[in-house]
Amino acid sequence: MTPCPYPYPERDIFLVANSVNELGGVASWSHQMARLLTERGHRVHVVGITPPEIAMELGDLPYPTTTLYDGHEAHGGRPPRLGRARHASMRAKAARLTALFRAARPGAIVIVTQVWAMEWVELADTTGLTVIGMSHESYEYSKKSSRFRRVLKHYEKADRMLVLTREDADLWIGQGLNNTSFMPNPLPFIPAEPSPRTEKAVVSIGRLHDQKGIDMLLDTWAEVAPRHPDWTLRIYGSGEDEEALRTQCTALGLDDSVAWMGRTSDVPGALRGASVFVQSSRGEGFPLALMEAMASAVPCAAFDCAPGVHEIIRDGEDGLLAAPGNTGELARRLDTLMSDKQVRDRMGDAARVNIQRYTTDEIVRRWEELFGFLER
Amino acid sequence: MNVDPRRSPGPEEPHEAPHTAAPAVSVVVIVYNDEARLPTAVRSVLDQTLRSVEVVIVDDRSTDGSYEVARRLAAEHPGRVRAHRLPENSGGCGAPRNHGIQRARGDHVMFLDSDDVLERNACRNMLEAAETTGADLVSGLCVRVHVDARSGKEVKWYPWLYTRTRTLDSISELPDLLVFDTLSTNKCYRRDFLLANALEFPVGIHYEDLLFSAQAYAAARRITLIPNRVYDWNVVDNPGGAGEADKAAAKSISNRRAEIANFTHRMEIHRRVDQLLADRGLAELKFHKDVKFLKHDLVLHLRDLPFRDAAYRQEFAAIARAYLESIDPAAYAEIEPIHAICAYLLRKGDWDNLLPAVDTLTNRDKISAPLVERDGRIYWCAEHLDNPDDGVLARRVLDVTELGYHTRPVGRMFLRNELTAYQGPSGGVGGSGGGGTVRLAGRITNPLGVVPPGARLTGELEFAARRKGVRFQVFRFPVATLRHEGETIAWEAAADLTRGLRPVGIVDAVWDVRLHLQVDGVRTTTRLTASEPGLVTGQLPVRPRLTRLVADRIEPQISSRGHLAFRLVPDKKANALVQRGIHGAPGRLAKSGYRRARAVRRTLASGDTKIRVYHEVFSRLPVKKRLVVFESHLGRQYSDSPRALYEEMRRQGLRFEAVWAYADSAEGFPEDAVLVRRWSMPYLKALARAEFWIDNQSYPLKLTKRPGTTYIQTWHGSALKRMGFDEPEWKLRSRGEQAAQQRTLDRFDRFLVRSEHDVRTLARAFRLKERTLLRVGYPRNDALVRARETPGRPPLAAELGIPEDRKVLLYAPTFRRREQRRFELPFDVERFADTFGDRYVLLVRSHYLNHVVLPPSVRGRVVDVSSHHDVTPLLALADGLITDYSSVMFDYALLDRPMFFFAYDYDEYVHEGRGTYFDLLERAPGPVVRTEDDLYAALGSLQQQSAKYSGARERFVADFGEYDKGHAAESVVDQFFAHWRRT
Repeated sequence: MTPCPYPYPERDIFLVANSVNELGGVASWSHQMARLLTERGHRVHVVGITPPEIAMELGDLPYPTTTLYDGHEAHGGRPPRLGRARHASMRAKAARLTALFRAARPGAIVIVTQVWAMEWVELADTTGLTVIGMSHESYEYSKKSSRFRRVLKHYEKADRMLVLTREDADLWIGQGLNNTSFMPNPLPFIPAEPSPRTEKAVVSIGRLHDQKGIDMLLDTWAEVAPRHPDWTLRIYGSGEDEEALRTQCTALGLDDSVAWMGRTSDVPGALRGASVFVQSSRGEGFPLALMEAMASAVPCAAFDCAPGVHEIIRDGEDGLLAAPGNTGELARRLDTLMSDKQVRDRMGDAARVNIQRYTTDEIVRRWEELFGFLER
Repeated sequence: MNVDPRRSPGPEEPHEAPHTAAPAVSVVVIVYNDEARLPTAVRSVLDQTLRSVEVVIVDDRSTDGSYEVARRLAAEHPGRVRAHRLPENSGGCGAPRNHGIQRARGDHVMFLDSDDVLERNACRNMLEAAETTGADLVSGLCVRVHVDARSGKEVKWYPWLYTRTRTLDSISELPDLLVFDTLSTNKCYRRDFLLANALEFPVGIHYEDLLFSAQAYAAARRITLIPNRVYDWNVVDNPGGAGEADKAAAKSISNRRAEIANFTHRMEIHRRVDQLLADRGLAELKFHKDVKFLKHDLVLHLRDLPFRDAAYRQEFAAIARAYLESIDPAAYAEIEPIHAICAYLLRKGDWDNLLPAVDTLTNRDKISAPLVERDGRIYWCAEHLDNPDDGVLARRVLDVTELGYHTRPVGRMFLRNELTAYQGPSGGVGGSGGGGTVRLAGRITNPLGVVPPGARLTGELEFAARRKGVRFQVFRFPVATLRHEGETIAWEAAADLTRGLRPVGIVDAVWDVRLHLQVDGVRTTTRLTASEPGLVTGQLPVRPRLTRLVADRIEPQISSRGHLAFRLVPDKKANALVQRGIHGAPGRLAKSGYRRARAVRRTLASGDTKIRVYHEVFSRLPVKKRLVVFESHLGRQYSDSPRALYEEMRRQGLRFEAVWAYADSAEGFPEDAVLVRRWSMPYLKALARAEFWIDNQSYPLKLTKRPGTTYIQTWHGSALKRMGFDEPEWKLRSRGEQAAQQRTLDRFDRFLVRSEHDVRTLARAFRLKERTLLRVGYPRNDALVRARETPGRPPLAAELGIPEDRKVLLYAPTFRRREQRRFELPFDVERFADTFGDRYVLLVRSHYLNHVVLPPSVRGRVVDVSSHHDVTPLLALADGLITDYSSVMFDYALLDRPMFFFAYDYDEYVHEGRGTYFDLLERAPGPVVRTEDDLYAALGSLQQQSAKYSGARERFVADFGEYDKGHAAESVVDQFFAHWRRT
C-alpha cells in the first residue's frame, strides 16, 4: 500500500444504528469509529432509528447525530407495531434519511451497524452512495436468533456486508450471502502501564448474564482452586444472574477464593491487578474484553466459543483456549498459567505485542481502503 | 483496437479512449451459434457490482447472428464491451479463449461461456481475494443450474473444495483441487501470470479445460479459493426432448464413433496432464489423479458397458488398458473394492468377470460374482489369484473379505440374476388368441455356495407397477424349472402376459420384474439383468383394465440399472389425448388433490402431531393400573436391567400387563408381552396410560409423564466419562434449554444406583434429588453375582460352539464415533487367532451402533457376538474381559475374573473428549496397555493376571459396586410390586 498518510478523499459517512446511544458494544463501537473517522477529516453523521431503552452517556460529540423517531410521533418514539401504519411511518422516516443522503457529496458511505436499522435504509434512496451492512456478532450466535433470517433478507442487496472475522464471513457466504466480507473491531485503548502480573489474581470482566457463562467459570474454578489456595478469582460485572451465581459459588464452597467486585468503570485498573484473565462465555463476537486484557499484557484463558476468539488469541502463543463448555479443560489451561510464572510472562508479553494488529490506525486504514475498493 | 481486421470499421464501432485506465477485470465471453443467450451472459458481466470490468466477446465464426449480436452489444456499451471474431471456426473452446487472452486489457482475466452467467458479486469477490492475497489465480464456487427443472434444481460443483477461504502456496497443498475442479471458467487469473507463463488452451482436442487448469494450477505461485458462488453453469437436461428409453438401446454406429473419439481425447488429455505433472516434479499429484481416475472417470464409462456391443467394448478396452498401465498399483488400495476390481479386470481383459462386477458397480449392494474362499479370505473370483506375474496385486485387489458378504444369510443377499434367454410370442403382435407368452431363462449367482446342492428350490416371477408408495397391483407367474449348477442356479419360466398381466392403463406405464427364489423356505429377491444389448425385443398384447384406447401392447425395456422391465406402448393418437388430459385442467386438479392428500397424511404422521395426540388424547384416558411399559436402549434391545426386572416379575408370577417397546424389529423380544414399535400410536397410548415406566436410558424427551405414572430409571452403567450437566455440550446450553433438559430428568421418580460413586457422578450430573435414589444395585447384575458363586460353564458356551478346552475372552470396547459405520478392530484379528487360537476363543462385541466384520480365517477362534441382545450372559461366560473405557468394566468386576484395558487411544479419549471422573490408569483392576504387542504379552497368562490384580479388583468392586449384592430385582419388586403377587 502507498505510504502517503492521507491517500483517501474526505467523505461523508453515515453511521446508522438502532439507536444513537443505546448502552452496549455496538454503540460504543459506532462512536469510537465516528471519532476516529472525524479525526481523519471525514464528515460523520450518526443516525439512530429510535431512542434507546437504556441510554449511554456520550459527552460532547464532534459530529452531528439524528434520531428518526424523535418523540414527535403519535407512538412516542416507536414505530407502530404492524400493518399499514407501520409501513407508512417507515416510509416517512426513510424519506428523512433520503433527504440526508441527497445532501451528501459524491463518494458518500452509509454504514448500517445493525440489521434492524437496514429496514429503514433499504426504503431510502441510496443512489450514488455505497451501503455497507454489518453484523457485530458471530455467525453461530446470529443463527440462534431471528437476526439470521433478517440478515439474509435485508443485507442481500447491500454493496458489502461485513462481519467480524473471515471465518464468520465464509459461513455467511455459505448461506448464499455473496457480498459478505469482514472487518475486525479496533482495540479500544492501549494502557501505558501493562500489568506487573504480581498479584495472585485471575480476573473476569463481563455482565452477570447467561451469555457470559459465569456459571461455567465457577465450575471451572471449583476444579482449579484447590490446587492454588493462595489465588483469588475476581469477578467484575453485575447483572440479573448475580444472586443465582452467588448461591452456586457458596454451594461449590468457593466463597473464600472468589471476590465479587461489582461493575467497574476502571477496566484498565482492574486489569492492572490481574495476572491471568479468564473468559467463559457461551457466545461472543469479537470480544473487547480479551483485547483489553491482552493490551494490558495479561495472558488469557478462554473458551473458544467464536471465530473472533481464536482470531484474537493465538492458542499457545499469547493465550490458551479450551473447547467451549469443557470446564475440565479450561481448568487445566488456568492451572498452566497459574502454576508457571514464566509461561505467564511469556504469553502476557506476546499478547501485548500481538494485539497491536488491531490498533485504531490499522483498522481505520482498512476501512478507508474498503471505501476506495467499493468505488471501483 | 477491438475490430475484426478483415472488416472496415463501421460507424457503430466504438473508439477506445486512449486515456481509459485498464479495467480491473476482463471477462472473455466465447460464443458459437448462440445468439439468443449471448446478451444474457454479457448482461451478467455489465451488472457486476464491480464496475471496473470489460467484456471481450470472441465469436468462433458462428453461422447464426451471434457476431452481429456481439457487435450490437459493443456498440451499446462503448468502452465496456468489445467484439471479436475468429477467421475460421475452430470447433472448440480453446482457440476463442486464447484469442480473448490476447485481446484482454484488464489486470485480471476470467472466462464465461455464452450460455452461462456470472454471479453479481463474482468479479468484486475475485478481485478482493486476488489483491489481498496476491494470488495468481483465484477460484470460486461453480453451480450447475438445471434450467429445465421445475423446481430450479441447483447442484454445487465440488462444494467441499469451497467451504472456506483458503490460500495455497502450491497446488500440492490441495491435490484434490487439480484432480476434481478442472474447470477454467470459475476462476480469475492475473493477466501477467497468464502471459508470463504463456498459458494457453490446447486447440483441436476436447477437454481443453483439463489441461489448461492443470497448467495454471501448476504454474501458480499462489492460489486462493473463495467459498463465494461465482459462476452459474446452465445445464439443459433434455436437449431435443430425448427420452430415457434410448439410453438402453444400443447406440448407433455414428454415436459409437463419437463416443470412442471422445474417450480417445480424454485419455490423450490425461496423458498430457500426467506429462506436465512429471515435468514439474509433482508426482504426488499424479497419484491423486490416478485415484480419481479409477473412482470417477473410469466408472462413468464402465457403467455404460452392459449397453454396448462387443465391438465397442473391445475398442474401449484397448484405449483404457493402455492408460491403465500408467496407473500406480498403490492407487488400488485407496478406492472402494468394487472400483479396484473393475479396473483390474478391465486391465486383464477378463470380460466374464468384469461384466458381473460392473453390475455391482451400478447396483452397489448386489452380489454378482460366485466369490471364493482361499486361505481364510474371501475373493471376488478364483481367477488371477495365482498369476505368476501379478498374483500379489490380484489378491490385494480381489479381496472382498471386508465387505462381509460371507456373514450374510441368503435372505439378506441381493444376488445377480443374469437373463440368458428371452423369447417373445412367435405369432407377433396383434392376435389375442393366446400369443402373449414370453419365455425367459437365466442364472442366479450362488456365491460361496450359499444355496447348497440339496436345497429345496421354488421361485416365482413378479410383475409390479413402478410407482412410489404402495404396490397395489402385482402379478405373479411360477418359475417352472430351477436347477442347481454349482456356482449358479439356472431357471426357466414362461409367463402369459396377455392373460396374466392386467395393468390399469394410463397410470402404470412401467412394470418391474423380480424373481423371488425360495431356498429351503427362505426368500431372496433378484432383479433380471440383461447383460447383452439386443437380447430383449418385440411387443406383446395386453389388456389394460381401464381402456385399451391408450395402449394394448407392452414391450420389454432395460432400465438404466440394467434390469428388465416392461413398458406400455402408448398409441400415438390416444396418447396425445391422454397427455392433454394430464397436463390440462382435469389433470391439474387430480394432481393437486393427490398432493394435498399426501400432505395431510404427512402431517398426520409427523412427530408433532403424535406428541399432540399423546398429550391431548391419550393422556386424558385414565391411568391403567398394573400396566408397565418396558424399554431398553431406546428400544434397540431386549436387555439390561429392564429385562432383568421383567423376568423377575414373571418369575414371581405377578399379575400385570407388560408392554415392551422395540425400535426396528421385534425379533428377540419376549413373546409373553405386548410388543409395540417405538413412536407408534400404540406405544404412545401405552406410555400415556401406564402405571409404571421402566427404562434404562430415556423415553422420548418431549413426552410429559403424568403424575399417576411412576418412572423407574434403572440407568445402564456407572460412569467413567463425564455425563449430563458435567458434559461440555450440556453446560453450553442456555438457561432455558437447561431448564427444559432438567424437566425431562425430573420425570425420573426412582433412579437406581450401585455405589456412592454413582451418587457423586450420575445423580449429581443429572441434578437428581436425594429421595429419588434407590441404592439397590443393578438388576442386570444379579446374574453376575450369582455366576460368581456358581462354578461351571453356562449353556451359552455350547450354543456358540466353544470347545471345552478353550478359555473364553470377551472384547467389548466402547462406542466410537466414526465416519463410516464399520468399526475397525484396533488389533489384527488374524494375528490374535494365530497366537492364541489354540487356547482362547475371542468373543467380539462391538457397540450396537458399530458394526464389525470378521474374516473366515478366524472362524471358530474369533466370534462376533454383537447381535446378542444382552451382554450379561456373555460377561458371565467370559473367563477374561478386554475393554477400554466401557462401563462393562464396572459390571464384569463383580465376577472377580481377570480384566485387561486396551486403551490404545487413551490420551485422545480422555483429554480431547469430555473428560473423566477419575483416572483409569490409577484405579484400573488390571493391566492398562497401549499397544497390540503389550496386549498380547498381558494375555499370556490369565492366571497370573488374576492373582496380580486380585486386591485391585476387590477395591474396584467396593468403590463402584457396593450395592450389587445379587438381590436388586427382588428388592425393586418388593418395594413396588409386592401387592401384585397372586395370593
